[in-house]
Amino acid sequence: MSEAAPESEPAPSLATTGLTKAFGGVTALDSATVTFHHGKVNALIGPNGSGKTTFFNCVTGMIRPDAGRTAYRGRDLTGRPPHRIARAGIGRSFQLCRVFPRMTVLDNLLAAVRPHGLAGQLARSGRREETERARDWLTRMGIEHLERAEAGRLSWGQQKLLELAGVLMSEPELILLDEPAGGVNPALVDRIGDLVRELNAEGRTFLIVEHNMDMVMSLSDHVVVFDRGRPIAQGPPQVIQSDERVLGAYLGI
Amino acid sequence: MRRGSDTRLIHLGALLAAAAIALSFPSMAPSPYEITVGIAILNYAVLSTSWNFVGGFTGYISLGHGAFAGLGAYGTGLLVARAGLPPFAALFTAAALVALIAVPVGYAALRVRGASFVIVSIALVLILLLVFQSWASFTGGSRGLVVPRPFPGMLRAEHHRTFYFLFLALLAVTLSAWWVIDRSRFGMGLKAIREDEDKAQSLGIPTYSYKLVVFVVSAAFTALAGGLYALWFGDLDPVFQFSVLGGAYMVLMALLGGVRHLYGPLLGAVAVGYALEYAKVEYGDTPLHLVVAGLLLGVVVMFMPDGVIPAATALIGRFRRSGETSIREVTAAELRERREQPNRTEVKDGERSGT
Repeated sequence: MSEAAPESEPAPSLATTGLTKAFGGVTALDSATVTFHHGKVNALIGPNGSGKTTFFNCVTGMIRPDAGRTAYRGRDLTGRPPHRIARAGIGRSFQLCRVFPRMTVLDNLLAAVRPHGLAGQLARSGRREETERARDWLTRMGIEHLERAEAGRLSWGQQKLLELAGVLMSEPELILLDEPAGGVNPALVDRIGDLVRELNAEGRTFLIVEHNMDMVMSLSDHVVVFDRGRPIAQGPPQVIQSDERVLGAYLGI
Repeated sequence: MRRGSDTRLIHLGALLAAAAIALSFPSMAPSPYEITVGIAILNYAVLSTSWNFVGGFTGYISLGHGAFAGLGAYGTGLLVARAGLPPFAALFTAAALVALIAVPVGYAALRVRGASFVIVSIALVLILLLVFQSWASFTGGSRGLVVPRPFPGMLRAEHHRTFYFLFLALLAVTLSAWWVIDRSRFGMGLKAIREDEDKAQSLGIPTYSYKLVVFVVSAAFTALAGGLYALWFGDLDPVFQFSVLGGAYMVLMALLGGVRHLYGPLLGAVAVGYALEYAKVEYGDTPLHLVVAGLLLGVVVMFMPDGVIPAATALIGRFRRSGETSIREVTAAELRERREQPNRTEVKDGERSGT
């Protein structure tokens, strides 16, 4: 899919114009205008407090921006509630991984199924087709043997994989991951990196907020750097690595 | 798999036994008084199960469901007494009206979560209490509203017996509706809200509409219970119909039995309802029944926050598991099978770490 688009002119995925959000006197997002590339692995990096998570929360409708617009593949999503944005094809994970702790692992995935119509709503949850699809995702994450365990009892790493499986179950085109490598052992970081690469090859677009620079640089096609609520640099990872403004923002020079 | 069909058989057997006891109770009761206790308990069970549509699925604790019971009772009573509707037409009309009223109420109340929702729900009961007390020319005020009997020629004992079965039928319908939602995709969405509302919404679940729909369903069933009570009891007083205490009983019963279980509220209603009636008979007008209710609530919150059903299953599970993990002979075939699915031991690890 990504091969179809010419390298010079990638199709826009998520795009914001003048996105602004202030909490009291603190400006978390300062007129951020940024475009991510469809079919690619995009990364959003920046020092702590540079507005990355606020950006995620604004574009997924969890918080309402003070000004500015959000669009996904040309369709305006500004001010839509989170479930509408999810149904437009955007899935997300949370910074501190969130699963439904007292549901079983399998139910965590079944809860992400979107029924249609009254009959679909009242139909039994966990029909064969759904359950098989859920098991496929669990198998892919390597946690299929835990399907009947309570999600809250899983280890941190297993919960991260479960959260990703749940997001995938909701069939998004664009997946926003907030610190996928946060608090995870090195082997699992590699594993998550491989999954992202595979899922991207299957046609899913990614936008990743991450502090692990090795992961960002090895994984992403396009990197956007935030500082003080706005993008200060963007481009392929090789270019970003040597950008002086980026070094300045990180090292405080 | 085998254990799954075993438990299903046990469930079915228990259900049939309970139904048989419930159906034969009136003919075994020594006097009509016992039947009235049975009716009171069934009424509590319907109310508590109705409450559990909101409380159990979404985790929103409403202390204001007394308002819907009161509105259902007064709606039915007024439609019979003032509009001259046939009693059972009045009952269903009143429930439909209450469902309509629940739409704007839910629209406003479900915007706030946690403690704020509890306060809003209490406010609703208190407002309605004042309205129904002050508007005496229409509602009868504190002097009460007399509801004409639905079966005029019937003797008192026969009247009780008939209403016992009517309440039992209403309970069966309410439980069935809860069961249908519990196993549905809609129910799965509601339970996701209970677990983590923001997360649920981020997965595409329209949380607000889901909450509103189940709130209205809950209100309608609560109103049916209130209306049937009005037809049975025949005399309504705002103080009893619009009481925070009534709503609190529904919560207590559901919590005691276990809000995540179909029969939780029913079990709680049998225990609390019986205790309340006993205290009222033995200790008359003293407020001892309130002390009993308070103590029960304390015990539930301190020792069984998930209710009796999960506490009991956990206890049984503990005995079962100890049998599984103790040293015993294992055949080579079993060992091979276990080695082929190394996962099973890991599940157990996961379970153990949590307990």
